[in-house]
Amino acid sequence: MSRKIIPYILLLPTFIIITFFIYYPAAMTFKLSAYRVSPFGNRIMFIGLKNFKFLFTSQEYAHVLYTTLIFVSVTVGVGLVISLLIALLLNEKVPGIGIFRTLVFAPYAISPAVAGTLWAFLLSPAAGYVSYLFLILFGTQPQWLTSFPLALVSIMIATIWKNLGFNIIFFLAGIQSIPKSYYEAATIDGAGAAKKLFNITIPLISPVTFYLVIMNIIFTTFSVFGTIDIMTQGGPGGTTTTLIYKLYRDGFVNYRTGFASAESIILLAIMAVFTYLYFKFAQRAVHYQ
Amino acid sequence: MWRKLMVLSMILIFLVSFIFAAPVTIRFWHAMSGSRIKLIQNLANEFMKTHPNIIVKVQYTGSYNDTLNKTIAAVKAGNPPDIVQVYDIGTQMMIDSGIIIPVQDMIAKDKTFDINTLVPQARGYYTVGGRLYSMPFNSSNPVIFYNKTLFKKAGLDPNDPPTTWSEFIADAKKLTVKDSKGNTIQYGFTSGLIGWFFEQYMAVQDAPMFNNDNGRAKRATKAVFDSPAGLRIFNFWNDMVQSGIMLNAGPGWSNPRQIFMSQKAAMLLTSTSDVEMMLKAAKDNHFELGVMFLPHPSGVPYGGVIIGGASLWMINTHNVQKEKAAWEFLKWLAGVKPQIEWSTGTGYFPINKNAIQKLLYEGYYAKYPQYLVTILQLLMSNVTPSTRGGVVGPFPKVRATIENALGKVFNHEMTTAQALKWAQDQANQAIEEYNSLYQ
Repeated sequence: MSRKIIPYILLLPTFIIITFFIYYPAAMTFKLSAYRVSPFGNRIMFIGLKNFKFLFTSQEYAHVLYTTLIFVSVTVGVGLVISLLIALLLNEKVPGIGIFRTLVFAPYAISPAVAGTLWAFLLSPAAGYVSYLFLILFGTQPQWLTSFPLALVSIMIATIWKNLGFNIIFFLAGIQSIPKSYYEAATIDGAGAAKKLFNITIPLISPVTFYLVIMNIIFTTFSVFGTIDIMTQGGPGGTTTTLIYKLYRDGFVNYRTGFASAESIILLAIMAVFTYLYFKFAQRAVHYQ
Repeated sequence: MWRKLMVLSMILIFLVSFIFAAPVTIRFWHAMSGSRIKLIQNLANEFMKTHPNIIVKVQYTGSYNDTLNKTIAAVKAGNPPDIVQVYDIGTQMMIDSGIIIPVQDMIAKDKTFDINTLVPQARGYYTVGGRLYSMPFNSSNPVIFYNKTLFKKAGLDPNDPPTTWSEFIADAKKLTVKDSKGNTIQYGFTSGLIGWFFEQYMAVQDAPMFNNDNGRAKRATKAVFDSPAGLRIFNFWNDMVQSGIMLNAGPGWSNPRQIFMSQKAAMLLTSTSDVEMMLKAAKDNHFELGVMFLPHPSGVPYGGVIIGGASLWMINTHNVQKEKAAWEFLKWLAGVKPQIEWSTGTGYFPINKNAIQKLLYEGYYAKYPQYLVTILQLLMSNVTPSTRGGVVGPFPKVRATIENALGKVFNHEMTTAQALKWAQDQANQAIEEYNSLYQ
């Protein structure tokens, strides 16, 4: 009997914390999404599903959804390919490989806001190093942060760079867990480097790849807001406004708590789909060694 | 029953008054970053020296936006600060918040404070419906800084800066320098993509942003900036960007400053609160700094500029002692000495007339004429509903929408007329939504 109670008692503190900091706010979000709320919360008006109706019929929101889709798919796709290539390089036995690995992982340790600041500085019009480099090398001055579509590309670059470390570590672990004998056998059969990559490495690390795709989608969607806020503030003309950034603007700059709650529920629904996919497919495919 | 309660509460008040013989602690949240954190702390320290029974806990709480968010959260949690600094465009929101004490109420009770010492433009901005709601503190207005050295190089008279839009464009053209490959190595002009400047150019043309006398006669219900004046601004801005004489530095204030300070642009539109920074930069980078008024389109009656910046709001904490202490501090901050310290340390102009007078007599403005220009531009503005500035609940959204609209013009997504109409529709939607809560 006591054995059955103790686990619950041990779980209780966690449960209490989760209730107050996750379940209760989440329940409030659902409630608030049906209201129009004044900035200080002193006036509140029940409007039913109007917030959702407005979102689903809004051209602007459709555009934000589209921007997010482009942003996330390109960032995750390109980011993973680059990460895999670097992971392959870091798998080579060269002197000082430990230092290279540490350096490559470093960007992951900094916050998205710091990454944004760094890149905003590098890409700053006229005064940035990258702008200067482009002037010397190519004789042009692209307006990185203030023109479409370069502003979105800049955010993508910053996000890819930021996520590299995380992806590389996982790819590296995946690659290193492949038994050497497979490659030896392939070499004897006369397979080249490319063949080995496509027929052995990539298929065998596919569980890792799947895990990374899902994780990347989730944190590219959620954590990019700091980067955007610092680099472009969603501009120019709203072309770098993603779902999470719009949610932030509506909630904490425009002080439309009810409307922002409705947006966060839509975001929650989208994320729920990915989490479901992850649990459905990844659990049986990924081996954590 | 009631008598018992009365007696009990009397005893309680009696006891509480004993507790309050001890120093009263008030909390003051502000949004002034960098060297200004220290400057404000020093002001508070001076105040505490002369007012030993009041302790002011000063806290820098991030940007204007962060500070307002923290205040909202603190109000909801029942633990708000006693004084909070809120940006100009938060005025209507604060009035509607139901948590503030209008400073007019404190002034009415305090014969020692002369409201007429406040600079009329600053006082006018924070007066809505005939009541002064908050104490002006850091007030600025927009000016154009220019590089006199580059003016000379371009063959322009550095002591005759442009005054009209057409002169401004002509000079900016002459100040734009390209290399042999056609790349611009020096721009005539730069500025951030900041909605505040649009509002200022509206005031320059004496055109309102909102109906009902810019929201000052009664609550504004419609945006009216989609007007010939508004379109003129969009065209002026866009023409300069498209013709390559102006570098659009994107959102925020720091990029355009950097560009100007590193002499990659000859003119910069920014806030007067940058005077101190610009004087220092000019010295470090060896160029001569000039300040000019905002140019205006010819053939349009001149209005003036609106003050920007922020003011200090008193939060109703239902604690009379704290309210009194907070008012003492606000009153002191608006005094001559603190205003001089604050103004000369930043570039915000003093909101106390006597402080301006004192600086003038002491020869400060003769030594730093750049500071004088910033004040003169304001004092030479006509006081009309347009130059007193618009008041509307969702002002942050309106400002951002105008920035967004200009971005759409620069992206060739919309024409200037389309973008302006789009912005006004968005603004109207936001105003309607906000106002529906207060009907």
